[in-house]
Amino acid sequence: MVSKVLTVPNAQGFHMRPASVFSTAMGKYPCNVTIKFNGNSYNAKSTLNLIAACMKCGSVIELICDGDQENEALAEGAKMIEDGFGE
Amino acid sequence: MLKGIGVSSGIGIGKVLLIEEHSLTYTPKQITDTQAEKKRFNDAVELFCENTEKQAEALKVSAGAKEAEIMLGHISIVKDPFLIGEVDKLIDGGQCAEASFETMCDMFIQIFSAADDDVTKQRAADVRDVKSGVLSILLGISEVRLSDAPPETVLCAKELTPSMIAEIKKENIVGIITETGSTTSHSAILARVLEIPAVMSAADIMTAAKNGDTVIIDGGKGDVILSPDEAQLADYTQRREKLLQERRELEKFREKPTASADGTVYELVCNIGKPEDAAKALEFDGEGVGLFRTEFLFMDKTSVPTEEEQFTEYKKAAVMLKGKPLIIRTLDIGGDKDIPYLGLAKEENPFMGFRAIRYCLKNRELFKTQLRAILRASAFGNVSIMFPLITCVDEVREGKALVEELKAQLRSEGVDFDENIKVGIMTETAASGIIADLLAAESDFFSIGTNDLTGYTMAADRGNSDVSYLYSALQPSVLRMIKSIIEAGRSRGIPVGMCGEAAADPMMIPLLISFGLTEFSVSAPSVLRVRKCISTWTKEKADEAAAKAMSFATQKEVYDYLASLTG
Repeated sequence: MVSKVLTVPNAQGFHMRPASVFSTAMGKYPCNVTIKFNGNSYNAKSTLNLIAACMKCGSVIELICDGDQENEALAEGAKMIEDGFGE
Repeated sequence: MLKGIGVSSGIGIGKVLLIEEHSLTYTPKQITDTQAEKKRFNDAVELFCENTEKQAEALKVSAGAKEAEIMLGHISIVKDPFLIGEVDKLIDGGQCAEASFETMCDMFIQIFSAADDDVTKQRAADVRDVKSGVLSILLGISEVRLSDAPPETVLCAKELTPSMIAEIKKENIVGIITETGSTTSHSAILARVLEIPAVMSAADIMTAAKNGDTVIIDGGKGDVILSPDEAQLADYTQRREKLLQERRELEKFREKPTASADGTVYELVCNIGKPEDAAKALEFDGEGVGLFRTEFLFMDKTSVPTEEEQFTEYKKAAVMLKGKPLIIRTLDIGGDKDIPYLGLAKEENPFMGFRAIRYCLKNRELFKTQLRAILRASAFGNVSIMFPLITCVDEVREGKALVEELKAQLRSEGVDFDENIKVGIMTETAASGIIADLLAAESDFFSIGTNDLTGYTMAADRGNSDVSYLYSALQPSVLRMIKSIIEAGRSRGIPVGMCGEAAADPMMIPLLISFGLTEFSVSAPSVLRVRKCISTWTKEKADEAAAKAMSFATQKEVYDYLASLTG
């Protein structure tokens, strides 16, 4: 299992488009991908879960990947968040 | 009369068409062949996606690509692996597809509705839309076909979903009334894009209105008049005609050059605050951007945006404008605009204090990052740099020296930028007006910011009701200031623009034409109105008006005179 603590940088947070782009990207990996935020865990391959988590600009979250290709998944996911989903 | 929230302006008069919600009721069944049930569910999802893609295609034509993209978001909801996984589990447990899917959708609708921010709340509507779409397919109910609505229809619904709006034929629908929603609802945005008058949150419209009733809707005020009497009908018909007449008049100026009655051509550009607004500027027929405020990039953040982040945003605007001018103003913070993480000290007198160019010249690294990002973006369009709040020549020289330093740096790194990028200044302080001739020798262009120029010249805060009577760009002192700035620019042969509110003021326009302004930068929705106004003046008539206006000693005389000219 690998993980990284990140801060959501883009103004709108995980709204519809970023959530959908992020979950699609994570869906490509065989490992489990979860986001820990405010004491809850969310399935990061699910757009709906990500929206439900209400992660906003400045929210501190932990991205956790566990299983096959966990390093690749973590690298791509962390980069997407750090880049603010290209927004 | 019913009162709601006016979300899309205009007046509509037509016949009510109630969009009744289908009762999507069913009797939950126990399933034994769970594999077959899962297949039935999968087929329904596939069909739903197919329909949605078609709707998105239609929406792309009527409302644009961005709206269509939101529609496609419905596909990512319905294909959500978590959602599908849970539905499959419920079906495995013996529940029918309808009940399984509804349970999961309701769960998310409940979570999203309970969120404390509006954006997430709006997503509940999307899930509801997806839920009824899939359930209709599972239950074999055909959805309402709005495309069949006859001409002069006013749609009334509890909630209008984006998929319903996607089916609208815009020539047949003259109004939209819903019981829920507000200005930020997705359907409200679509109504504005389609230019259909709309009123939302009109409680009880579904019980008060009957199919075929005549109804008047005023999408500006949020008024709904059911079964109006003849006087009301006549009154609103006249108002609608007037509005449409005005709109038609203005539309004649679309895609026309901005020219005075005697043929002098002016530049008519827009003020924007976000890169996306560049698209809006073009949509309203602006000829480029005369002021791109960059503060937004620094607000709603937890730290200074990186060069890469800024570059991406500036480039986005430059590319969208396809070679049309884009004047980027460097960071104008301080005064009333605070950015918490910059740790600006509280000041006794912030408007006279540490702000804009003063802050940037003291915080070199931050300033350099922004200038590098702008320079890099200049390789992708017609970009210029503009410094705010200039009061002396040293500030211009220092700023330009930094630009040159960064150009040399980029050159040595082999990074592309526009070697001939223009560097201009905002003339918005009394000091800059008085030494406009000296500044003109150092700048590639001027842009007059009338809001600050008026405040600084009159030493009056428009927000203070005890002194706001002094705050007027028509004060003789402010007019003389504007005149001397424009003349200083002209005699030096540099373009002079105006990006304050006064640039769109019909009373000011003849004076600006007479003084020799070359560029008007206004809010996007004002473009056609300003173009029309400019077209009504010849230089001779404008000179006459200006000579007279400048001969008065008081603001009131100037105002009364110009008001009598422009009606």
